[in-house]
Amino acid sequence: MKASVFKSWEFMLAAVLVVELIVLGLINPAFLNIENLLFSTSDFVHVIIAAVGLTLVIMTGGMDISGVSIMGLASIVLGLSFVAGVPIGACAVLALAVGVGAGAFNGTVIAKTDVNPLVITLAMLFFYAGVASGLPTLLDMMGFAVAGAGGFEAYQYEGISGLPKSFTWIGTGALGWVPVPLIITVVIAAGATYLMHRTRFGRFLKLIGVSADVARFTGVPVTRTLVTVYALNGFAAAVAGLVLTAYFTSARSDLGAEALLNIITAVVLGGSSIYGGQGSVLGTFLAGLVLGFLRQGLLALGISSDVVPVIVGALLIGSVALKIGMGVLGTRRANRLAYETERAAVANG
Amino acid sequence: MTDTTPPLVALRGIWKVFESVTVLRGIDFEIAPGQVHALLGGNGSGKSTIVKIISGAYTPTAGTVEVNGTPVALKKPSDAHEKGIYMVPQEPHIFPNLTVLENLTMGLAGDRAENARRAEKAAQEIGLEADFSAPGGELSIANQQLVEIVRGLLRNAHVLILDEPTSSLTRREVASLAAQIKHLTAQGIGILFISHRLNEVLDFSDRVSVLRDGHFVLSRPASELTAEQLVEAMLPEDFTPHDADARKCYRIEGAHPVLQVRHLSGQAFRDVNFDVYPGEVVGISGVVGSGRTEFAEAIFGIDTEATGEVVIAGKPAPERSPQICQEMGLSYVPEDRHAHGIFLALPSAQTISSGVMSMPEGRFMSSAEERNLATRFIDKLRIKLSSPMQSAKTLSGGNQQKIVLAKTLAPEPRVVILDEPTRGIDARARQDVYRIIRDLTADGVGVVVISSEVGEISEVSDRVLIMKRGRLVELAAGVTGVEQISAATFDATGGAGA
Amino acid sequence: MMKILKSRELLVLFLLVAMILAVATQNKAVLYPFTLINIVNSSLFLMLIAVGQMFVVQTRGIDVSVGAIAGLSAVIFGFALNAGMPLPLAMICALITGALAGAVNAVGVVFIGIPPIIMTLGTLGAYRGFMRVLTGGSWIESIPQNIKSFAVTRYMSIPLMVWAVAVLVIVVAVLLWRIRAARNFYAVGDNADGAYLLGINVKATRFAAFTLSGLFAGAAAIVFVGQIGFVPMQTGNGQELKAIAAVVLGGVSLMGGTGSIWSAVIGSLFLTAVDSMMIFLHVPGSWNNAVAGAVLLGIVVFDYLIRRTVHNRQLAARAAEMRRAEADQDRSTNTTETREMAS
Repeated sequence: MKASVFKSWEFMLAAVLVVELIVLGLINPAFLNIENLLFSTSDFVHVIIAAVGLTLVIMTGGMDISGVSIMGLASIVLGLSFVAGVPIGACAVLALAVGVGAGAFNGTVIAKTDVNPLVITLAMLFFYAGVASGLPTLLDMMGFAVAGAGGFEAYQYEGISGLPKSFTWIGTGALGWVPVPLIITVVIAAGATYLMHRTRFGRFLKLIGVSADVARFTGVPVTRTLVTVYALNGFAAAVAGLVLTAYFTSARSDLGAEALLNIITAVVLGGSSIYGGQGSVLGTFLAGLVLGFLRQGLLALGISSDVVPVIVGALLIGSVALKIGMGVLGTRRANRLAYETERAAVANG
Repeated sequence: MTDTTPPLVALRGIWKVFESVTVLRGIDFEIAPGQVHALLGGNGSGKSTIVKIISGAYTPTAGTVEVNGTPVALKKPSDAHEKGIYMVPQEPHIFPNLTVLENLTMGLAGDRAENARRAEKAAQEIGLEADFSAPGGELSIANQQLVEIVRGLLRNAHVLILDEPTSSLTRREVASLAAQIKHLTAQGIGILFISHRLNEVLDFSDRVSVLRDGHFVLSRPASELTAEQLVEAMLPEDFTPHDADARKCYRIEGAHPVLQVRHLSGQAFRDVNFDVYPGEVVGISGVVGSGRTEFAEAIFGIDTEATGEVVIAGKPAPERSPQICQEMGLSYVPEDRHAHGIFLALPSAQTISSGVMSMPEGRFMSSAEERNLATRFIDKLRIKLSSPMQSAKTLSGGNQQKIVLAKTLAPEPRVVILDEPTRGIDARARQDVYRIIRDLTADGVGVVVISSEVGEISEVSDRVLIMKRGRLVELAAGVTGVEQISAATFDATGGAGA
Repeated sequence: MMKILKSRELLVLFLLVAMILAVATQNKAVLYPFTLINIVNSSLFLMLIAVGQMFVVQTRGIDVSVGAIAGLSAVIFGFALNAGMPLPLAMICALITGALAGAVNAVGVVFIGIPPIIMTLGTLGAYRGFMRVLTGGSWIESIPQNIKSFAVTRYMSIPLMVWAVAVLVIVVAVLLWRIRAARNFYAVGDNADGAYLLGINVKATRFAAFTLSGLFAGAAAIVFVGQIGFVPMQTGNGQELKAIAAVVLGGVSLMGGTGSIWSAVIGSLFLTAVDSMMIFLHVPGSWNNAVAGAVLLGIVVFDYLIRRTVHNRQLAARAAEMRRAEADQDRSTNTTETREMAS
């Protein structure tokens, strides 16, 4: 029963997405131009990529809000290593490794203490953002030489541009009609879906999310699984940061800092429970598209972007309230039914 | 019943259903002024639900609650307080960061100075000696219990509910509590007393009622009862003491032990030694708080602080975790099914397969294999499910426990520790569990059954060990009778043992 | 020693003083009264929203919408002043806006049962969007400049605003100490079931916490507008996370039940002081967040280690106590009994 409700949530999201596109298209036919539609996703796919990573974390009943800082950190690491003369491929690998390391650190502290994950990742949100913004000056202080006046510090505010085409292609290129960022997003989402539903690791995530204590008594390697899943979230955030860097053709330390509300909204609207044990990468992906196109559509209709967060907030609250309401009614009905059956059984025999 | 004065509290035809599981089936119950009414029953028999209904924490699905003869609606605990009912919970609700005085007066209406004065007076009367300005977290367990009683007195309670007040007290502290109870009943206060310790129940109370599977099976003055009668009343209906000769013991003579425990010590137990041989059932009898669960968790690698040696299937296991133990051939069914045993929100098939998931063979388990595994165990253990995908939440306690058993047996262990394997399940399911245990030993698996129910230990064990205050003592070979076990388990010097 | 370590407010206050003194060895300027007053002055906004946040966190909730509430209240405050309202009336408008916004959060969390992080994250977006819709996205500038007189007037060389907030904090502290119901915040956060069984109105307490959080965000908005004299769109942006960091740093556990108003005060002073210290050490300001994050992480992990040690000690002490008591008894009665049983 649970499974079918769950499935229908994704189905509902898909339906909402279709209706949204049709309504927006009816009001403004230009919006439905396939090429525009596909390329407009580049504005928001970084939210989906980060949200997919967070979905895995939330599956365990955890939380990681530091992803938005890891995005900026990965971006600036890439940029700085590039201007320091590292080949761009190695820069990207370094940036991704930093993301994985940052995530794994979160996971380790969370698994080893009983401190609320929100608190730990709040601290790390500040820490990684601070390291990202401070890194240029640190490199100067450590005496690294760099071409151009002003040293690394010059890059702190204006960002690092002049990244090679081979890199910016992942943010601006396309294969046929399909933009590369969208392809990356689909690949990441597909990978995460596979991990979650087709591997033992995915099952461990679910078991921990339903009850970390029961999982421990059942022999699930809780610590190792948590460290891994937070590392994966760090990886996803770093990919999101690099895609955004390539899209803007500029590496900045504050990249993605505004995305937190949208990322969490995509995960929760996608059907994941923040109490853990229930989550869907497909749902997150679809919810991310719904939210992203909503913003695009409203802008295309000339509606002030100021209204968008109001709608996003209302969607977030409304969807959760709806689920809670459905759950309460269901339990009440089931209990009433069980009482009446038992009572009848006692009366008859 | 009482024609002159109505009972302080009366339950009439109370039903309670949770998550589609019926816990109370139309029970009647009374607490009279100046009397101690003891409520007995196995874990999950519905005791705590009765307590919560009387104290306003739960509302009944059907039936009425009367206070002094008038029907009342107790929608929240403060309603019950207004009617003079106060519950002293098993785990005292102490706010560690507030002072003792604030802990005492928390939630009280009225003038602060006046409350403080009353609290001091009540504390003095009841013998609570503590620094009122010290933080509540520094109170001893016994004093925490007294704080709860004072809270009740400050609310002018006529009815005090004491839920397992002695489970974590030393004997001296219990004696002082007994004196307090006498003092309270002398003032006309009615007390609902809950305890696992039969001799305390008989010593403390005027009337004893025994609850089983959601209804009362016995309710008589304590003076007419013996400990044996209470033990018997708590046993399942179709329980017949087994004939030791007729029942087959599958113990493989001369085989190497599947589990050896040497000098295992932890905070709640000391120097525990025992062996388990393939094909035998070792029963460990012990009351709540005797250290039985703590030492089981130490063997299984949940508590990693314990010292001592454990040898599983011939191989020493100095570093243990649940995962390591399962791979070496030891599985464990924890005492607290909901907190540690079963993934309530998952399809049953996924809880069953979770047992092998962490094993090497679980790495690449396909969903078809998972389904096969689940179906095999559902058939073998006769689990009643509409489909393997049915969530465990809506199942009866017995079926839930069978799912936990399936999960535990799925890795095909050499030795299994079952902690309270029939807690809160009905008589039929209980027999099924005993049959499963027997089948296991027939396959040469060594089984350890830990239980506070003496009848159960007597029923299933080939050999009996007693866990008492952290020490494990073995009864003489062949001694598996209810009387001997209960005498050794409870400190029943008066009733059963003599 | 253990006791002092257990009082997080004192520990962080000690760290704060130590940090300032350590920096003073490098740069004497940090000890000038003017510097110290400046630190306090610039912490006022954070301090007020942190005090509000404290109520919520203490009851085991979280409110990430406080920054947005402050922004919304600032806009209403600006509108009210521009409409020619007298200052006290405009202030009341700002406070009511904050309290109402907080009450909306409370309705979602307490009556519908939406997890606090989700509810307030939703209203964070909603309030911030609403704020932009109200102003059309532009700053409110033409505010009567006499509002700034509060900020620039000094009494005993301390800005009037600092005095005002200090008085407010002390009044609130006294009220929390005097009012019985204030203890309910602790009780509900510490052990909501236990509080409920004691007859405390858990829902009302949590409702009050969210409403107070909004109210203090409204007060923070007044301070903010008073200090800078206009309402930028970024008002309160990102401050919600800083406020949570401040209260947690000061000793309010996200698991509820601990900390006091001084946690919020000292926590916000500490976070603000970190920024200033960086300047005196000639460390680029870009490192501020990294230091704040590291300090927060260090403190919560240290706190965990202390709690674990204390807990283990208590367990061991109780086990020893039981053992002693039973050993006494065993010697007198029980040995014979067991022997009989076995035979």
